[in-house]
Amino acid sequence: MLEVSARKRFRSFYLNVTFTAGSEMVVVFGPSGAGKSQTLRAIAGLTRPDEGRIVLNGRTLFDSSAGTDLPVQARRVGYVPQQYALFPHITVAKNVAYGLHHLPAQRRREEVEKMLTLMRLSSQAACYPRELSGGQQQRVALARALVTRPDILLLDEPFSALDSGIRSTLQRELLVLQAHLGIPILLVTHDLAEAYAMGHQIIVLDDGTVLQGGDREEVLRKPRSPSVAQFMGMRNLFDGEVLSTDDESLYIRWNGRVIQAPPQPRKAGEQVTFGIRPEEVMFIRRDRPPRRGLQENILAGQVVGEISRGTEHLLFFHIDDMPDEKGYHLEVLLPHPVFERLGLAVGKQEQVSLKKGAIHVLPEVDVRWQRRAVTSPFVASARAPAKA
Amino acid sequence: MNSDPLFPLFLSLRVAGMATLLALLIGIFLAWVIARSDLPGRDVLSALTALPLVLPPTVLGYYLLVALGQQSPLGRWLARHGMSLVFTWRGAVIAATVVALPLVVQSAQAALSAIDQDLEEVARTLGRSEPAVFFTVTLPLAWRGILAGAILAFARALGEFGATLMVAGNIPGRTQTMPIAIYDAVQGGNQSEANLLAGIVTVVAVGLLVVARRSTRYIPW
Repeated sequence: MLEVSARKRFRSFYLNVTFTAGSEMVVVFGPSGAGKSQTLRAIAGLTRPDEGRIVLNGRTLFDSSAGTDLPVQARRVGYVPQQYALFPHITVAKNVAYGLHHLPAQRRREEVEKMLTLMRLSSQAACYPRELSGGQQQRVALARALVTRPDILLLDEPFSALDSGIRSTLQRELLVLQAHLGIPILLVTHDLAEAYAMGHQIIVLDDGTVLQGGDREEVLRKPRSPSVAQFMGMRNLFDGEVLSTDDESLYIRWNGRVIQAPPQPRKAGEQVTFGIRPEEVMFIRRDRPPRRGLQENILAGQVVGEISRGTEHLLFFHIDDMPDEKGYHLEVLLPHPVFERLGLAVGKQEQVSLKKGAIHVLPEVDVRWQRRAVTSPFVASARAPAKA
Repeated sequence: MNSDPLFPLFLSLRVAGMATLLALLIGIFLAWVIARSDLPGRDVLSALTALPLVLPPTVLGYYLLVALGQQSPLGRWLARHGMSLVFTWRGAVIAATVVALPLVVQSAQAALSAIDQDLEEVARTLGRSEPAVFFTVTLPLAWRGILAGAILAFARALGEFGATLMVAGNIPGRTQTMPIAIYDAVQGGNQSEANLLAGIVTVVAVGLLVVARRSTRYIPW
């Protein structure tokens, strides 16, 4: 169990993070410059917060009000920085043995051997770090940290230096390792897919502040604010006004249409922001009636753009007779077979359903997200000729 | 004593060797303070350590003579403890050390700055004390750059003339180092001795250059 509450003023940046983490994989997620690495460094004792309290398994590592500031050496944290920081001048075996200086030589050899076997590095024991592949280097860094039996493992962007091919393999290995060790792992990343794949718990950080933290499904499906929604890939966000509510639905007026959302206590006339993930928007097949769950929120419009990613397609959908700012209203993500089956193409007239169950009304409204609204690169190319 | 033509060579090697060791000890410490600590006024310290490079050696020698002589408190304190430095070979060591110091500081500082600080930080998280981190990570990674500086420092100390002459004087058989002996031989019209000594110095210098180049090129890991 880790409790962090730390504040520190940097030259152009204010770090103010508060969160707790259990004995699991916790992902600290946010854009670069959000303060993710500084948060790890504060826990490790490499950065001293101006004030705050950091408690690990009941052990106080830092407490500004009590004047406690355990030195790095006494914190029992395993720390793996972004480029792994393997000692280049000594072998893999000596790298792993580095933190075991207090053990007698015989014990040290045994421990190192055990750890190298566990990490499948036995045949690399005599190699120097630069002779290893990226994946092997990562395993050495993990082995070096884990052999000292730390109370927590802090990993700063552990997969960013690796080829995408090997990345998913190593991600799975790390999850297996975490289950085996049972110590909390704090993993920093700016990659959403990685955050979701790795985190039991996700802490969303931006501009030095925790925007939201908790169970990964909760953070992904029920973002608290538009900023979190955007970070978590809920690309379709809209402002509306509550019309009414009943046991079945919350009715929201949006650009002259009425959208049905799952019921929740809201007052009529209240301004709300709601969103739907691109993969939750469904195209309606013309040859048969919409199936259950898709009968509400049916909107007619036109496919105005497409970005193919090979295995999936990102479509831009313009709703008929609705004012627009970006040239489209919805981003829709479809797997390739579905795209094929529906015979979709740019310019075609189609109907979509904003699946009611997938509409999320955000508990908080913040204005920041509107300022950082992203314009799609597709808009410039696809819409410019139309205007010209 | 004057009959031994090799005395200046051995004196020079001894003086330069000791000066290099002293310059290494002081220089690595100063470089570490400049590169790693957050001591205020590090830039001033950095400029001060470079001063012997820009001051004429005679000026440097004059300052040392004043500082270590009987007129200064330091000189009197040294004399009271029986450690007279002026006009002794130890004085030559001091002069050579001061002259060689900037070369060590600058190369050591560059070598320390080139080390990824993540390495030192990881070493600390692995429970290692500051001295252990310095001797097992920092120094092994910096030693090549420091060695290059040390070789230059040794060469500079070996050739020291102006400051040494001021502080240690020119006493044959006692403080007459190689460069001073060469000057002396030329002044006295003793050309064969001058040729011999100059030849030896040249061979040593070329050898040092070769070692210096190899040490900075070859990387074992």
